[in-house]
Amino acid sequence: MRYSKLIFVFLISWCSVQIAATQEKATLTQVELGLLRGKSKTLWSEEIENRFNFSFSAFHGKKIKPNHYLGIHLGYDNYPDVRILPIGLGWRGFIGDDIGSKWMGGLNAGFGTTFLEKRERTDWSSTWQEGGVYFQPFLGVTLPAKKGNWALTSSIGFKWQPSSYFEGTHSQPETRPKIHPFWTRASLPEGFNSLNKVTTHFQSLSFQVGVLF
Amino acid sequence: MKFFHLKIALALLASTLLFSCTDEVNATYTFRTMMPVYLEMKDVRGKSLAPIPAQEIEDPGKIYIYKDYLLINEPSKGIHIYDNKNPANPINLSFIPIEGNVDLAINSNILYADNYVDLLAFDLSNIQNIRLVKRVEDVFTHLYQHSTGKIITFKDTILTSDSPRWEYNDMWTVRPGMSLLSNMAKASQNYGAGGSMARFTLLDGYLFAVDESTLRVFDVLSPAEPEFIKPIELGWGIETIFPFDQKLFIGSNRGLHIYDASNPADPTRMAIYEHVLSCDPVVVNEDYAFVTLRSGNFCVNGVNELHVLDIKDPYKPKLLKAYPMLNPHGLGLAENYLYVAEGKHGLKSFNASDVLAIDKNQLEFIQSMKSVDLIPGPRSLIVIGPDGVCQYDYSNPAKLRKLSCIQVSNPIEVS
Repeated sequence: MRYSKLIFVFLISWCSVQIAATQEKATLTQVELGLLRGKSKTLWSEEIENRFNFSFSAFHGKKIKPNHYLGIHLGYDNYPDVRILPIGLGWRGFIGDDIGSKWMGGLNAGFGTTFLEKRERTDWSSTWQEGGVYFQPFLGVTLPAKKGNWALTSSIGFKWQPSSYFEGTHSQPETRPKIHPFWTRASLPEGFNSLNKVTTHFQSLSFQVGVLF
Repeated sequence: MKFFHLKIALALLASTLLFSCTDEVNATYTFRTMMPVYLEMKDVRGKSLAPIPAQEIEDPGKIYIYKDYLLINEPSKGIHIYDNKNPANPINLSFIPIEGNVDLAINSNILYADNYVDLLAFDLSNIQNIRLVKRVEDVFTHLYQHSTGKIITFKDTILTSDSPRWEYNDMWTVRPGMSLLSNMAKASQNYGAGGSMARFTLLDGYLFAVDESTLRVFDVLSPAEPEFIKPIELGWGIETIFPFDQKLFIGSNRGLHIYDASNPADPTRMAIYEHVLSCDPVVVNEDYAFVTLRSGNFCVNGVNELHVLDIKDPYKPKLLKAYPMLNPHGLGLAENYLYVAEGKHGLKSFNASDVLAIDKNQLEFIQSMKSVDLIPGPRSLIVIGPDGVCQYDYSNPAKLRKLSCIQVSNPIEVS
């Protein structure tokens, strides 16, 4: 089930690429793979461990001004213990000659969702994950291909992505209270007797390589 | 230029290996607790107890019927009074604000109600002019905290700590729906009817009140002049009291205590029927006691049963039969018909004339009527559920007919 969701995201990204390929240069598509590097810390100890996490992202935007593109951003980030699918907006800006390599700057921002993660529910408790608002500024370069209308890209940036793990005990046994979205939910949702929330603010340096066309 | 940018790309990659940021991790623990609230009794006694206009019911506690009136306790806040001449249309008359009130009983137009450590007596003979006629001070002394001399009560509160687990020593976690709800008691001629989970009851001119561990006896032979007689220690876990035939049947979470109240000023223990740890309201008739055992809240044992005890010899109660139930709460007995509030599962009626075949004589099971407590009253079967306080015509126990429902703004939660 969870793989089908992953495939779904990839398909959306792929469709974005195909749509962009058929359109004029007024649109820009960028597909990237990369690493998110950070240091993870556990709640219970001060132990710090390096982490390297896989990241995929796709951007499809329209030219809003010369060398400036604004569009949608989708992705997949595989953090420790949680897989996040960012969905948001992106901006790409370029400095340089029309031919040859260029400097590239950009920003992705939106909401990282966790719908690949399953909710665990028993008669007594519920556990689930939630994402949060992310942003990712970056700088990079583009290396145009010798043939064709595409270029390789390489970028480094910073990515901020919070994610929360919830563990709630039910007010009454053998009940499964509804888990409302966080924007309509009380600090202690109806039907819960207690709620433990652990929030990790992932702060990562991102290195990504990809193609744009 | 292109080669230059390639070098930059490689430099960017290398830099990610050298630098990184540390994730921030924080935790919160939000939980429902009972926060201690300290009160001076002199402040409580200074407050007005005069009835005020009718109030909406927020969270119903005990229910009690007396003559044409239905009284509904709002735990720790007071008592709502309804004119229940027409059960299809109960009329909200007034509200008596009584802090710390959890139970009530009525004897010959005198309403007894607890006010933290005090017992109050109100004259109901003119329902439009309810008056406090007596305050018996310092009788429910278990509410005093010895170190401060103040009343300690607990307020349901939601707190958030930045610790991953709760670290409050002075708080108790609490689940909603723990309030003790009333049930059925046999109505003596001048008494009202409470419930199988009632903690106040009347018998032969005496008022009996139980707390978690103690039975307190009051002389109410002169109804407007209640007099505290004595406390009797019962042991922990006392939940309910039910009077019948000069006996007191006291339900605890470990078993059923039977007391001889032929001398009501000095009840003496006849027997204890022990069972597993469980919540256990009880009703009785001449020969049998019907006890429901349920899991949930404090009674976490997984047992959901109706026990029928032979009490022909009250010194030797013995279990006749245990019937599996879904999650039985309060129960009521009217003639040979038994009514059981099955929590979120609904409301059941049985013909209990053959106590060995109660399960084969289920008459009705209304799954839509979630219920925690009930009183088979003279005009209607009064049921408390999440939808409020509902009344049924039970002239045909096999075909209960809903007459009315008093809506509540903060419905009790049922398991």
